[in-house]
Amino acid sequence: MPSYEIEQLDAAINALLAGQTLEALRNDPQLLPMTEIASQLHLTPRSEFRAGLRDELLAHASMPPAGRVFDASLAPSTHPQLKSRMVHDSVFPPLFSTGVSMLPVRGSHLAVSFALHVAALAIVFTSGWWMVENRTVVRKQIASRFSGTIDYLLPSSPGELHGGGGGGTQDKLPPSRGSAPRFSDQQLTPPAVIVKSDAPKLAAEPTVIGPPEVKLPQLGQTGDPTAAILTPPSNGTGSGSGIGTGEGGGVGAGNGPGVGEGRDGGIGGGVYHVGGGVSAPRTIFDPDPEYSEEARKAKYQGSMTLSLIVDSEGHPRSVHVVRSLGMGLDEKAIEAVSKWRFEPGLKNGQPVAVQIAVEVVFRLY
Amino acid sequence: MEPYLKATEHDVDERHLIEAAQRDPTSFAALYEANFDRVYAFVARRVPSREEAEDITAEVFHQALAGLARFEWQGTAFVAWLIGIASHLIARRWQRATGHIEVTADELETIGVSDHTERQAVIAQLVDRLPEDQRLVIRRRFVDQKSIREIARELGRSEGAIKQLQFRAIETLRNQIRSGHA
Repeated sequence: MPSYEIEQLDAAINALLAGQTLEALRNDPQLLPMTEIASQLHLTPRSEFRAGLRDELLAHASMPPAGRVFDASLAPSTHPQLKSRMVHDSVFPPLFSTGVSMLPVRGSHLAVSFALHVAALAIVFTSGWWMVENRTVVRKQIASRFSGTIDYLLPSSPGELHGGGGGGTQDKLPPSRGSAPRFSDQQLTPPAVIVKSDAPKLAAEPTVIGPPEVKLPQLGQTGDPTAAILTPPSNGTGSGSGIGTGEGGGVGAGNGPGVGEGRDGGIGGGVYHVGGGVSAPRTIFDPDPEYSEEARKAKYQGSMTLSLIVDSEGHPRSVHVVRSLGMGLDEKAIEAVSKWRFEPGLKNGQPVAVQIAVEVVFRLY
Repeated sequence: MEPYLKATEHDVDERHLIEAAQRDPTSFAALYEANFDRVYAFVARRVPSREEAEDITAEVFHQALAGLARFEWQGTAFVAWLIGIASHLIARRWQRATGHIEVTADELETIGVSDHTERQAVIAQLVDRLPEDQRLVIRRRFVDQKSIREIARELGRSEGAIKQLQFRAIETLRNQIRSGHA
């Protein structure tokens, strides 16, 4: 018998008796089986206790039955009811009893957890059923393309007006915002925000040159429709009277007595049609419109058309209904289309604003 | 764990033992001897001190004796009934100690006689069968938790001899467990 092993085992026993765990003594695989046995030896009963209890029980057994009192609540398993419960416990212990675990486990905890899971499943199934029952399909289509102005949200010119105008009195400030004066066939007085002469010898209404049948929107104060709102009153940095940054007696950045970019009167900037060198904008982000609750309840479906301008940065502007559907669906379509993003239309390789129409079809299945 | 079970099984039909004890409580001693080690092992693994283990084990057998007339044979081992009583008693102690329910007897009861309990019971029985000098050393060393020096002084032998007896005893236990001849 190797004395080394004897000493090793004794050292391990000393460690166990001092409170060390068996895990800490697993470094010697040869001695491990014996160390494991040693770790259980301290749980062996005292022989005196065993014999003493036996004598005690025999003494009690010799007593009349009345002297032995049994606590019925301790009877665990021979009654059918209790036995049945034990079967439940083994199947699903914490539901019917409290349990032993790393954390306290109670039946109530499991019941709450169970209820929450049932509720979650109910929500999942209900929402799934609802989605199936209320499935909507919204089809979007760029149905047609309109021309539009680039920077000015002005009415489209009705014909082949390629003109424009501009002006200014070489002020240091940019032109202030306002409405261009009405169109006229002739111009006696160019428009001005700041009138240099308070008492003209011959007073005449300021006008810009253009077709009189075209009505420009009137905002009240005379000015450049594209100017910043908070600019102090100014005729602008252009020259040749008028308002703006261009030249001539018109309004805007063009040259002449008209309005907007371009020259020789009329509305500047012209209108852009897809084709003829102008490409159509293409959607790069187009979330579907939602179905309105009112339309869904009424099982209402159909199509509607929106008009909008896709500016040179691909943002939708001036979104409005061309053909209405109602039941709140127009608003839903405007709300969604306003969030769309486009690759802008191109003219000569440069992004330009293009007016387009979008058809939205709402359908319930 | 079949070899361990064999070691604790009695040749006598347990049912007959129970019926005999129900007719004559003084026959309860046979049931006690057959089941003591497993009940003690079950309890000792679940309470912190030897005193508490002895206290609960004694209570289990006293209650079993008092309630033996109520026991109905349903094919379940008698030790399972005893373990059930032990579980309730342990649970009550824990409740008293902590002030709230940490574990119920039902939960402990489902634990039943585990392999650990069986192994522990077998070891206890095997210790009783060791040669007297080895058994004495094991008792002194592990039950009374005496040092080698104290045991050597008590038995009038050298410390080396006591260590050898200790080694042989545990080696014997290991061999008997391995061979299944417990």
